[in-house]
Amino acid sequence: MRPSRAAYPMRWRVMDSLERIAGLLWPRSFSAGLPYLMLLPALLLVGVLVWGLVEIGDSSLRTLDTSTFLMSENYTLANYQRALNERFFTTVAGRSLMGSLIVTVITLVFAFPYSYLMVRTPSSALRKFLLVALFLPFFIGQVVRAYGWLIILGNQGMVNEALGLVGVSPIRLLYNYPAVLFGLVQYMLPFAVLMLAPAMTAIPAELESAASSLGANWISTFRHIVLPLSKPGLVGAGLVVFTLSLTDFAIPAILGGGSQDFIANAIYDQFFRTSDQGMGATLSLLLVAVGSILVGLVFMVFGAGTLAMGGDRK
Amino acid sequence: MTQFAGISIDKIGRGAAEVPTESVQGNSMSAAPAGVPQQETAAAAAVSVKRVSKVFGDVHAVREASFDLPKGRFLTILGPSGSGKTTLLRMIAGFDAPTAGDIYIGGQPVKAVPPHKRAIGMVFQKLALFPHMTAAENVAFPLKMRRHDARTIPQKVERYLELVRLGGYGKRRINELSGGQQQRVAIARALVFEPDLLLLDEPLAALDRKLREEMQLEFRRIQKELGVTTINVTHDQREALVVSDEIVVMDGGEIQQMAQPVHTYRTPANAFVANFIGVTNFLEGPVVETSDEAIVLSVGGMRVNGAAGGTARVPSQGELAAGALRAEQIRIAPTVQGFSGLGNVVNGEVRDAIFEGERIVYEVGVPELGGAVLRVFDHDAESHQQFGPGDSVALGWNAKDMYIFKK
Ligand SMILES: Nc1ncnc2c1ncn2[C@@H]1O[C@H](COP(=O)(O)OP(=O)(O)OP(=O)(O)O)[C@@H](O)[C@H]1O
Ligand SMILES: [Mg+2]
Repeated sequence: MRPSRAAYPMRWRVMDSLERIAGLLWPRSFSAGLPYLMLLPALLLVGVLVWGLVEIGDSSLRTLDTSTFLMSENYTLANYQRALNERFFTTVAGRSLMGSLIVTVITLVFAFPYSYLMVRTPSSALRKFLLVALFLPFFIGQVVRAYGWLIILGNQGMVNEALGLVGVSPIRLLYNYPAVLFGLVQYMLPFAVLMLAPAMTAIPAELESAASSLGANWISTFRHIVLPLSKPGLVGAGLVVFTLSLTDFAIPAILGGGSQDFIANAIYDQFFRTSDQGMGATLSLLLVAVGSILVGLVFMVFGAGTLAMGGDRK
Repeated sequence: MTQFAGISIDKIGRGAAEVPTESVQGNSMSAAPAGVPQQETAAAAAVSVKRVSKVFGDVHAVREASFDLPKGRFLTILGPSGSGKTTLLRMIAGFDAPTAGDIYIGGQPVKAVPPHKRAIGMVFQKLALFPHMTAAENVAFPLKMRRHDARTIPQKVERYLELVRLGGYGKRRINELSGGQQQRVAIARALVFEPDLLLLDEPLAALDRKLREEMQLEFRRIQKELGVTTINVTHDQREALVVSDEIVVMDGGEIQQMAQPVHTYRTPANAFVANFIGVTNFLEGPVVETSDEAIVLSVGGMRVNGAAGGTARVPSQGELAAGALRAEQIRIAPTVQGFSGLGNVVNGEVRDAIFEGERIVYEVGVPELGGAVLRVFDHDAESHQQFGPGDSVALGWNAKDMYIFKK
């Protein structure tokens, strides 16, 4: 007996035949292996990465022969010695680490109230405005934005022109450490807010009402309730901002004008200016090591669940 | 003299014509006993809500709500979803400001007092326990915030955890406690700083029935033990009847009735209250006769005797009215014999018999009443005759049990 068309629509029949074909190609007994098969792309990706790292590790152990401009045949730790002892490299490393730390702190301080307002405001118009203001910079790109700052902060820039109107002679606002940090904070803010907002959304507004009915003023509510409960978001955002700042290239290059190099700029110089692949590779590996150790430490202290947003601890 | 005429005068079982008129209806203050100045009544009450309204955009969430609650009493605000219960409670707690009207706590106006300066303990619908603290830390939180002597805090915390039968559970994290235990932590936290007023916003709604009934009795025990004035919000009529000293029934942002549970149940102020509480049959028709205590309706051509219900104007002759009759106040028998004392007797046919465990619910079609279908409870079904669909039965009820409200 044939079921009527209406009871058994075309779409179902198509799906049925597809399933039958799939069953021929991929019998049920294979399906236990399916999850592993799906891991394949990830493994491939990690594999390529590891392979690249091994290659870089290999070059990091060879020095540049300045007379022939070829890499040495034998392995040596000379590059690592230079990286850890030479004044130039330690200065760059110190500047990058210190700068990233300052940028992280300032960014979190600015991002926190921004996300809080965005999540808690009863006005949907304000929320939309804050969201748009957050995403707009993403469409502009880092380099373009850095050039924007050149226009605003340059000697003939808008700020100095405005100062000129009130009789202040031009101030050097660019090509110094604060300019780089300023540019980085401005660049990192949206990332931090994007990481913080979900963590704050996960805090029920009722908790704050409860705290206030239990006798806490807004400062205590913030200190005892909002801040501790946003910790996962803060740690995640801090980690992202710190690692992105530490490895940033464009902003130190453009707003620092060559005088405020970060590690990435130094690596670039080694590869493309002095053509010392060995030294470039060494610096890259050291950067990866510092970053990994930091992330590892944060996970150890706060638990690996931290970045998973709002899950149960550990 | 209390504010509640319906409470001070025991009228249970008496004619419905003198139902607690004064106690009901939104702006009842005007009905305070003559000679008692309003100021005085407000001062005597732990909570006094005076013509409070709240408007959100074009939604009137609460409309001219007024009531006084004496110290130490347990009030339940009962109403369907969206009737403005939470809004009223939030205004008392201080989270929202009334659009109009005033709220007095302990005789003092609280308009300018922020929530953390009001001595109010609140248990929220979703409990709002702090997940990053242990049970004991949660209970200690209000004591720390209110700067109690740090040395006495641990004892107080333990004492209140014991009060809610959670002694020894202090070290547990919130997510390591069961739903009912979390509930009790929330109650301990709201009570530990000895607030003047305890507010409960449907804290039992999420629990399963058995646990909910247990917790209802627990609430009552704790409230009696501490004597704290309590306002509880619920849409569970059973809970309201079980735990409260007073029930405020709300609908559409307006207070429909404020009375003791028995009065709310037996002498509803209007058709809404009658319908919302209990299982109620409504018989509609024009009024054909009115006298002091009795009103006669014509339902499907048959004369039905009832009593004037509620506070609203007694419907006059010729007006369309509805008679409310509770399912358990109808007697059911195979024949009309033995129904001699009853004011209303009809014959019908059983349409359906629904077994509900402790009782059987019959749905009986009554052709004499224009084909109306009445729901009738029969408790203790085992010892009486049982009926099945199609059986002819006789129904009877007292005239005074049927309240007639104007449509
Ligand atoms: N912040 C708000 N903005 C706009 N309208 C609101 C707001 N809060 C409540 N309302 C409206 O006010 C009315 C009463 O809401 P309320 O929360 O007091 O109801 P409730 O009686 O507590 O209902 P439930 O039993 O479902 O909790 C509803 O129509 C609701 O939509
Ligand atoms: Mg509610």
